[in-house]
Amino acid sequence: MKKCISQNELKSVYVEDGTAKKIFAADYNKSDVLYEALNTARVEDAGVDIPKLLAVSVENGQWSITSEYIDGITLTELISKHPEKAAVYIRKMAEYQVEFQKKTNPLLLKLKDKLVRQINDLKELDSSIKYELLTRLNTMPKHTKLCHGDYCPDNIIVHTDDDANITDITAVDWVHATQGNASADIANTYLMLKLQYGDSFEGIDGSIADLYMSDFCEITGTNQTYVTGWLPIVAAARMTKNKAGEKELLEHWVNIVDFQ
Amino acid sequence: MSEKNMEQVLLVDTVPALEQKLAEVREAQQIFSSYTQEQVDKIFTAAAIAANKARIPLAKLAVEETGMGVVEDKVIKNHYASEYIYNAYRDTKTCGVIEEDSAYGIKKIAEPIGVVAAVIPTTNPTSTAIFKTLICLKTRNGIIISPHPRAKRSTIEAAKVVLEAAVKAGAPKGIIGWIDIPSLELTDTLMKEADIILATGGPGMVKAAYSSGKPALGVGAGNTPAVIDASADVVLAVNSIIHSKTFDNGMICASEQSVIVDTKIYKAVKDEFTARGCYFLSKSELDKVRKTILINGSLNAKIVGQSAYTIAQLAGVSVPEATKILIGEVTSVDLSEEFAHEKLSPVLAMYKAKDFDDAVDKASHLIADGGYGHTSSLYINTSTESEKIAVFSEAMKTCRILINTPSSHGGIGDLYNFKMAPSLTLGCGSWGGNSVSENVGVKHLLNIKTVAERRENMLWFRAPEKVYFKKGCLPVALNELKNVMGKKKAFIVTDQFLYKNGYTKCVTDKLDELGIMHTTFYDVAPDPTLACAEEGAKAMKLFEPDCIIAIGGGSAMDAGKIMWVMYEHPDVDFMDMAMRFMDIRKRIYTFPKMGEKAYFIAVPTSSGTGSEVTPFAVITDQNSGIKYPLADYELLPKMAIVDADMMMNQPKGLTSASGIDALTHALEAYASIMATDYTDGLALKAMKNIFEYLPSAYENGANDVKAREQMATASTLAGMAFANAFLGVCHSMAHKLGAFHHLPHGVANALLITEVMRFNAAEVPAKMGTFSQYQYPHCKERYVECADFLKIPGKNDDEKLENFIAAIEELKEKVGIKKTIRDYGVDEKEFLRTLDEMTEQAFDDQCTGENPRYPLMKEIKAMYLKAYYGKPVEV
Repeated sequence: MKKCISQNELKSVYVEDGTAKKIFAADYNKSDVLYEALNTARVEDAGVDIPKLLAVSVENGQWSITSEYIDGITLTELISKHPEKAAVYIRKMAEYQVEFQKKTNPLLLKLKDKLVRQINDLKELDSSIKYELLTRLNTMPKHTKLCHGDYCPDNIIVHTDDDANITDITAVDWVHATQGNASADIANTYLMLKLQYGDSFEGIDGSIADLYMSDFCEITGTNQTYVTGWLPIVAAARMTKNKAGEKELLEHWVNIVDFQ
Repeated sequence: MSEKNMEQVLLVDTVPALEQKLAEVREAQQIFSSYTQEQVDKIFTAAAIAANKARIPLAKLAVEETGMGVVEDKVIKNHYASEYIYNAYRDTKTCGVIEEDSAYGIKKIAEPIGVVAAVIPTTNPTSTAIFKTLICLKTRNGIIISPHPRAKRSTIEAAKVVLEAAVKAGAPKGIIGWIDIPSLELTDTLMKEADIILATGGPGMVKAAYSSGKPALGVGAGNTPAVIDASADVVLAVNSIIHSKTFDNGMICASEQSVIVDTKIYKAVKDEFTARGCYFLSKSELDKVRKTILINGSLNAKIVGQSAYTIAQLAGVSVPEATKILIGEVTSVDLSEEFAHEKLSPVLAMYKAKDFDDAVDKASHLIADGGYGHTSSLYINTSTESEKIAVFSEAMKTCRILINTPSSHGGIGDLYNFKMAPSLTLGCGSWGGNSVSENVGVKHLLNIKTVAERRENMLWFRAPEKVYFKKGCLPVALNELKNVMGKKKAFIVTDQFLYKNGYTKCVTDKLDELGIMHTTFYDVAPDPTLACAEEGAKAMKLFEPDCIIAIGGGSAMDAGKIMWVMYEHPDVDFMDMAMRFMDIRKRIYTFPKMGEKAYFIAVPTSSGTGSEVTPFAVITDQNSGIKYPLADYELLPKMAIVDADMMMNQPKGLTSASGIDALTHALEAYASIMATDYTDGLALKAMKNIFEYLPSAYENGANDVKAREQMATASTLAGMAFANAFLGVCHSMAHKLGAFHHLPHGVANALLITEVMRFNAAEVPAKMGTFSQYQYPHCKERYVECADFLKIPGKNDDEKLENFIAAIEELKEKVGIKKTIRDYGVDEKEFLRTLDEMTEQAFDDQCTGENPRYPLMKEIKAMYLKAYYGKPVEV
């Protein structure tokens, strides 16, 4: 039975016989559809265990992408069901990210190029701030690790055991995947967690975002300042989404200058 | 020139426009590069005056545009950038020949570098623009400025003021350019295409500069800690820090970011800060300010160059409007503490140190946090605390260490100190990722060409202070020991043969007659060993002589020299003394001073080695068999007594071998790249004596007294020649042939010398010897000079050389020298087995360096083979 599991004006997702079919609106840019399919396939090629891409097709003038369907709930849902276990879940989330960041595919778009384009295209920022941000970005180390680009609890599907412990975790929605500096992807997730959960969370000392960052830094032996250095850059990139509720925080975060 | 012409017509807002501007500036710089010092100085003066006059409007414009800093302080910066820079370099030569030393033949010529890419920050836009354009004008460089978008109008305006005045004073039009609409892409392009980069700015820009592939002079971030020692003048310290920290609202990169106060004066310091209008934040206020100054670890753009009052307002903290500095009393020096960072504003961290060492630790940590290579500051009593100053200076990894000085003013140089170059670009050394560790100035914008004329180094002639000679002179010479020198104890070194056969008796009798106590060490064997020398030195130590008399051939004299060294300097290391050198004047090892305990006299009993007048001694390690050749003029005997009576009864073999050895000394000294007129005369006369008298000395021995005496003279003359001109590859090869196959040294030389002469005489050698006075391969000419002196005939040089070689062969034959190495019974297999090792060691022998032809190892090998078989052989 075909079942609609999500729907908005741009796309609808239907599940049928173990597959998920994402049907795009008729006026959806086909190159965006094909890019999403290609990018997802490249992540698959990189060796990440994600729902396999099965088909790209057109029906009645509407493009669609069909892939394997993974049953489960999102990490957002799990955290809201078991907030007392949030710290454990966040650790798991960070560990999974560190794992897939070990993969790479040289054909993926380069994160740095994408960020430069995003910052240059921003109308909201004046030339001074852009100059500062691009100067900083320019000096950030170039890596080729697999970056998800939208790694947040909404895009993580989990299975749990009876005690609500995560037994299986998969990241979905790889359309924004790039190759680049892992810490940039961590900073991006940090920003999204900050936007999603704010500065504090019951039962956690500090914020979910800070906990997640310290977990990552501990697992990988990374200096926290190395990750936070990316924050104004990913905050600027995030501005391209133009979400009213995020504006104040993002504008604050990007308004920095280099030490002299 | 009309105003319009001076304006930059081209709007630089894209890469193609920048390329065009680069081409224009490059063209202008080409013209500028031919300007004289006089023209340049006129332009420099006019530009400095114009910038100085514009100091107030430019300061106002900078504050208005950037919204940062204090107009009145920016006036000082502009004033400083024009006046101090002018004053520092007004008389500096930057064009053409800037230094000349005709005695040494050295000339230094200054050339411009080309087009300078100047990255200018928001914090000091106009003053930095003035500074950089002025030093570029002084050095005949073109410059293109990349302003920060936040300060582009004021930066460009400052550049325009300087350009206009420069062009009016005669500078090429367009010598200064700028990017009108700055972007990182244009800055990057400029840095990649310019000839050098002057990047003032934060780590990002500096790193970009260094990554551009072009040489860069960049500066990094500062995080200046100011330590106030318990001995400091608190009032001076606190007010200096306030003065510095409030200067242009704390935007100078050298400005104090934290103050570390010894607990003993902490309260006094705090009271003084308070009394002078600074505000100490309460705990809750501190947190508010923390959150305001940094955003996720990065500096909040909104606080840079703002007043303490404005920053307090941004943080939601209420302070009096006149507050000078917001001070946070903190404890952590880690980066997790916001106050431990650089703040570019009148916000200061204050730490309490339990003692001076703790303060130094904290300061080191803060520098590591973000100020490597920049500036540190110490307030202290300089009269009483020099040790602490030394400790601080050693501990700080900063290129400027300022004492009792406001660091903003002190770091830029020449305001509160002397001899520190005035600059608005402060090098941070390798610690800060910079190529310079000093304040950047005109010298960094010049290519200095050194024109070095060929010069020949000073040469020398050294010999023992006394060389006494004449048959029967020994007892007369020894009189001096008593009558002139007042010596009391003589130590005689000789070999068993001479001792047992009474050759030393004439000496001991004379000493007895003079009433000089003496003892004789007679256990020197041929090729004396270290063990032998140590034994002799031990005896010397017990006897404590004030005079040493070495009597014998090379072995006894060499052993005597080594014992002398051991006696005078028991701690010397033979490996150090034996270290090979290229130039005896530049050798790494300094030979110990000799002669302080004992006066060394050498009395030769054979006519060959010349050791009585040479600075050389060879000693063998009895365990490894390795021979250590020692060479230093300290080893020169003080007195040589050349008395033919001591040589009368030399056996024939010794006469022959040592005679040919002396001939080889003369020949090699004459051919040496270090030969001089002083040594040539000695060598030639030695050769003449040997050719004339060796056959008779060999045949007739003591029956031909004159021959003996002439040979004695020849040996010593040749010794003095090679003591100064040194030897060559014949001796290198003979040393190893002798060591490996136990041939007497003279015989080994005899077997090789003519082969080596042919080798050296080549007019197209594979490589010639390296020495300034050795101008071209002229060894053949040198041998011909010898032939001429010896009256050896020949129609031309080649024939003379051949005849000379034939004469040597004939002489060798007359004195019983066999033709080949093989003829001396050296086993062929053994010879071939050791050939490569012998070759390599001969190549590395101390004598090789002075050979006129620098030998390749395969060439040495070929000569060995030819000398073995008597004909060219390949193996």
